[in-house]
Amino acid sequence: MTGQKYGLCGNVHFLRYLNSLCHDDYFAALENLHRYFDYSAGTEGIDIVPPASGCNNFGRYEIALLFLGMMHFRFGHPKQALEVLTEAVCVSQQQSNDTCLAFTLAAVCNMLSEIGVSSTAGILGSSFSPLTSIGISLSVQQQLFVLLRGSLKRAESLKLKRLVTSNHLAKAKFDLTHVQRPLLSFGPKASMKLKTCPINVCKELRLSSHLISEFSSESSTMTTDGAFSSVWLKNLQNPLGSVVLSQENGSGSNTNAFQFYAQPSSIPGSVLQLIGSSYLLRATAWEMYGSAPLARINALIYATCFTDALSSSDSALAYVKLIQHLAVFRGYKEAFAAIKIAEEKFLSVSKSRILLLKLQLLHEHNLHLGNLKLAQKVCDELGVLASSVTGVDMELKTEASLRHARTLLAANQFSEAAAVAHSLFCMCYKFNLQVENATVLLLLAEIHKRSGNAVLGLPYALASLSFCQSFNLDLLRASATLTLAELWLSLGSNHAKRALSLIHGAFPMILGHGGLELCARAYIAEAKCYLSDPSFSVFENPEVVLDPLRQASIELQVLEYHEMAAEAFYLMAIVFHKLGQFEEREEAAASFQKHMMALENPQQEQRLLFNI
Amino acid sequence: METDESPRVLPFQLQFDKPVASQIKIAEWNPEKDLLAMVTEDSKILLHRFNWQRLWTISPGRCITSLCWRPDGKAIAVGLEDGTVTLHDVENGRLLRSLKSHSAAVLCLNWEEDNHLMKDGNGNLSTYEDRTSCFFPPAPTVPRMPGVVSGDASFMDDNEDSFREFSNSSQQRFNILCSGDKDGSICFSIFGIFPIGKINIHKFSFPTLVDIQATYRLVNASIYKVALSKDLCHLIVMCSGELFEDTNESQNGKLVGHGTDGLHCFVLDTSIFWKRKNELHQVAQQASNIEDLTEVIRASLSVMCKQWSDAMNHFHEKFDSLSTLIIDHGLDSSPQEEFLSLLGGARTSPAVHQFLVNSLGEVGVKRVSKVVCGAGKELQLIVLDHLQPAAEIIGFRMGELRGLSRWRARYKGVGLDETIINDATEKAGMLLVQVERFIRVLSSVVQQFSNFFNWLLKCIKLLMSEPSDQLLPYDSELLVIFLRFLYDQDPVKQLLELSEVDGDIEIELETMQRVKELVNFGGFLDCEYLRRTLAKEFQLMESSFSEAFQMPHCTISEKILCENLLPLFPLPSSPVPTSFPVPASISYYEDASHATSSYQTCENRCIDYISFQVPDESFPEIANCIGIARGFMNHSMNFKRGYTSLEIVLLCVPGGYQCVDLSLYKECQFVLLLNETNTSSESSGDACMMIVQASDLPFVSISQSTSPDYWMLHQLKDSVVYLQMENEKVRSIPHRVIAPLAVSTSRGVACVFAARKRALVYILEEDEDEVSDAE
Repeated sequence: MTGQKYGLCGNVHFLRYLNSLCHDDYFAALENLHRYFDYSAGTEGIDIVPPASGCNNFGRYEIALLFLGMMHFRFGHPKQALEVLTEAVCVSQQQSNDTCLAFTLAAVCNMLSEIGVSSTAGILGSSFSPLTSIGISLSVQQQLFVLLRGSLKRAESLKLKRLVTSNHLAKAKFDLTHVQRPLLSFGPKASMKLKTCPINVCKELRLSSHLISEFSSESSTMTTDGAFSSVWLKNLQNPLGSVVLSQENGSGSNTNAFQFYAQPSSIPGSVLQLIGSSYLLRATAWEMYGSAPLARINALIYATCFTDALSSSDSALAYVKLIQHLAVFRGYKEAFAAIKIAEEKFLSVSKSRILLLKLQLLHEHNLHLGNLKLAQKVCDELGVLASSVTGVDMELKTEASLRHARTLLAANQFSEAAAVAHSLFCMCYKFNLQVENATVLLLLAEIHKRSGNAVLGLPYALASLSFCQSFNLDLLRASATLTLAELWLSLGSNHAKRALSLIHGAFPMILGHGGLELCARAYIAEAKCYLSDPSFSVFENPEVVLDPLRQASIELQVLEYHEMAAEAFYLMAIVFHKLGQFEEREEAAASFQKHMMALENPQQEQRLLFNI
Repeated sequence: METDESPRVLPFQLQFDKPVASQIKIAEWNPEKDLLAMVTEDSKILLHRFNWQRLWTISPGRCITSLCWRPDGKAIAVGLEDGTVTLHDVENGRLLRSLKSHSAAVLCLNWEEDNHLMKDGNGNLSTYEDRTSCFFPPAPTVPRMPGVVSGDASFMDDNEDSFREFSNSSQQRFNILCSGDKDGSICFSIFGIFPIGKINIHKFSFPTLVDIQATYRLVNASIYKVALSKDLCHLIVMCSGELFEDTNESQNGKLVGHGTDGLHCFVLDTSIFWKRKNELHQVAQQASNIEDLTEVIRASLSVMCKQWSDAMNHFHEKFDSLSTLIIDHGLDSSPQEEFLSLLGGARTSPAVHQFLVNSLGEVGVKRVSKVVCGAGKELQLIVLDHLQPAAEIIGFRMGELRGLSRWRARYKGVGLDETIINDATEKAGMLLVQVERFIRVLSSVVQQFSNFFNWLLKCIKLLMSEPSDQLLPYDSELLVIFLRFLYDQDPVKQLLELSEVDGDIEIELETMQRVKELVNFGGFLDCEYLRRTLAKEFQLMESSFSEAFQMPHCTISEKILCENLLPLFPLPSSPVPTSFPVPASISYYEDASHATSSYQTCENRCIDYISFQVPDESFPEIANCIGIARGFMNHSMNFKRGYTSLEIVLLCVPGGYQCVDLSLYKECQFVLLLNETNTSSESSGDACMMIVQASDLPFVSISQSTSPDYWMLHQLKDSVVYLQMENEKVRSIPHRVIAPLAVSTSRGVACVFAARKRALVYILEEDEDEVSDAE
């Protein structure tokens, strides 16, 4: 066989490998990867490794190791992956293949930031030579940080622009959830500002978008010949796409410059994918930091500009974000309609992501409807998804048990709910899932609030608040503040003023970035504060109470949250009764009754839900 | 005073006596530091330190009509004749902002800050801070125009910091700048940068003290002085104009009587500023920052447009000779066709050969490539460093405003409208999508240009039969696209420029469907937005912003009401003089005596003093007098409770002297600047300055019943108090003096200007000697 044929053969194996990777077929993937390196020694078909560096007789062992490591990671074998990648680092160093070393380091970083870190602590500490040689015992996060920095520096010096970008993205992801502590700090005066630094996240993200102006200096990003002509031929029937091949007005005198925009972009897909993922990361960051408009807009930018010919799992993620936003801000009806469209759109791939979203929304909706049995069922399904063949997804696992605890809470099984939440907290603590910690603490506060133990709830709410503060989770902080206010309020009417001022402090955040449920809760809490304040008189200014209650009832009806809607109408009826407006009172009371009835027999709506 | 020790003859220590270059028409002390800002007759602004060292001079090029300091002393507001108010940095005089809110000369300025710390009952709102600085690095600044000399780069950098500091109003206390103009308009702006209200006093109808039943209108009014109370609840305005009785039956009211053309004083109820200060603070902070950022975007767009069109002109200049060459060779084709056939390898026409080898050459290609690709790179950097960050921060800030607007109970009152703000947020989002598309088009265009140039270089080498292995590779398909779409068209420019004939951008069907589908996922309802250019989108966003910010402006303007009118004295000459020679001063003091009254809330614990000179021509019976009124602000409030608190006293200046200027000083004192009337003597005592304790004067209460006369002062003609030189603190000045008299309440110093171009600084406060010396 000629070299050319070797190359083609290699390509075939590589494609087979990728295909089996997509279909989660471990053995076929391994087999094809081996074959690929046996036949072509990794010289063909991959554009990430420029062939310029000196060839050696060992073939491309380090590259093979890199691929193997990434494959293991993909299949959820972090331990093996780390071993293989460590080996790859060593070999790259021996062969002085800087490019491969840079990519390997980036892969290690990526893996460390993805998986639950505590499980890998032993491996890293014992065998990972680049770090143990420093001679300082560092925590896993700090090791990751050092690695990230080193990897970035290496990629920069090698002028691997895309790798630089992906390193910036990894760094942004790291900064998003990690408090930066100085590696070494001396004395009592060393300032310890235990907070995450969102400005760094923003800076990293902005640096990552610089790729769009730099990609052309990376020689391997030139598109291959023929890429466009196939698009042109494909688009022949499309009036705009085929302008290139049409002969009329060849002089170009009356063609419109605006037609240029309709042409397929000449920017390589890998570049666009990286830039697109920076927008997705932005959306995630804003979900955490609490800016609903920016989270939505960034997901929209991705969905508008990046969905063609790019990673469909990424674009599924963008759509998932949009649907979540829809569910939180406009209710379930629109969200489920959108899910239906999305399911058709992403029929082939990343089914799990849409499925997951559907389960999440179903759970929420059933909780609100008071349909607890179904909610528990959905929750169990979620739990099953969490531990699939591809390894344990920690995030999903925590979410499943969080939802379990919430279902128990809704069923007024307080001690069980608290037990689940406690064990969840322990797990989060073990795996350093700090952001989830804040949520779990808030849930514990909520459990104590509902069980009537306001005093017990207070420390949890405060702890959650301080977590939120140090991780800049502003929206969660606002909702923790709201819970805190509700706890104070349940301690007695003499705390009503304090509760009210807490709520008002959080109002701009809640109303601006919180969903329907949170806003409604805040409105009801505000009205309750006024009503329980002994110095407040309804007769003086009834609108102060009625307006928030009306708002809340509208939002809760959209959300079909029967329990709270009933509460809002109940309060409204009481106020109207006091004011002597009996007609309005009856109306509110009727609505109250309607929601109570719906809450008590959820069967009717159950049938509806099963159809979805 | 009686207690003065005998050796202490001179009460005010003369700090120095220096010549000034030209006559001074306005002088104001910095409220925080010992700095004196002065405006010369030829409208230069000078800033001097206490030791008379000059810090800087600027001349805005237009006639300056007023000046005041920001309460923290870090900026100067300057009113110009054309109605512009400009703000200048105290450090170097650099122009920070310019706001054209008036259409006539700005005659007076007053900048007052809220002196209550936000600790009151509903002060919890102040805990809601601006989150932007927590999530974003410092906001991007206006990109520099290409060709700016790099020599003053360091100077620019210095200023950028101060500019940033200026925009960051979160550290500032809430403050309001009022400005009154010649046409009777008064504008209010928060932090001096965000206009929040504008009223025209011609539109008001006044209930007067004289006759509570009748209301009056002012005609031909011109604002002379404005003074906002320390709690921002009241604004005392001095203005000239004619009063008309406002009758219901006819639009044209009748004149109240002859001689109603005079100086009037009225109070505006501006308590909305106090009641809603937290809300206004938030809104102004977000909105003014958004306005700054839109300015950044506008500048970025224009800089990019200029740079790109320069580069494109260069490119076309070089390549246009090809088409003439083609015609010269008698060919019937276009340059694109010729290039295509060169690419296809069919033939090399002599025209192209001549063009590439002779007229352009390798050096020429490299040069054009450097210009075009360099410009492209610059543009990319402007987008990445200025445009995109600015658009992102706008999106964030608009989102914050949206959150505020949804709190209707609080923010509806200041005119923040939820639907309009929602719309503005959507527009900000669309701009972000457009920016992303623009950078992609730009990058792709730059890539194709460099591809084209690479190919040309290769062609030239081939035509000249030189080795071409060292050259960069090219992509022939991209070349086809380039020749088809980019060679004689300019999609980048079209996105950047606002053209009158708005061609719609053609969009792939697929993209269009996707955008339509996204509506189901909560996307933008306006599916057509991708058909607009970037410049058009920006324009739309801007107009939706201005609509959003106009709402608070209108709402607040409507809530500023007139409470009361006090006609002071008639002005003799019928044509209203442009600038008043009448010295006057308005100040507010802590009202110790009345503070105990139970009904008084904290919002009116202070008392106002209005002092003014009464022109001799106004009342024949009252000559050489000054008047002081107090309690005017609270008058209307108390009036409803059955008694009046307005009190006035007339002081007669000692014989042989004439009042030049006066100014209220601290603790209810006021400083008088007097000139000797008989200038015959060459003695040293040409002029003198004296301090009078106003609160001890025998004020006469003015009430409705006792005033059958229209001009209040008339009834006081019998109770004039005569000032005695011997009883007051007096310092004689060895020059003939002129206005203005600049008194600093906080620093206890006064600056007097002599007619013979000299400036004299006196220390009014003996206790502060040490402090002043240290300066």
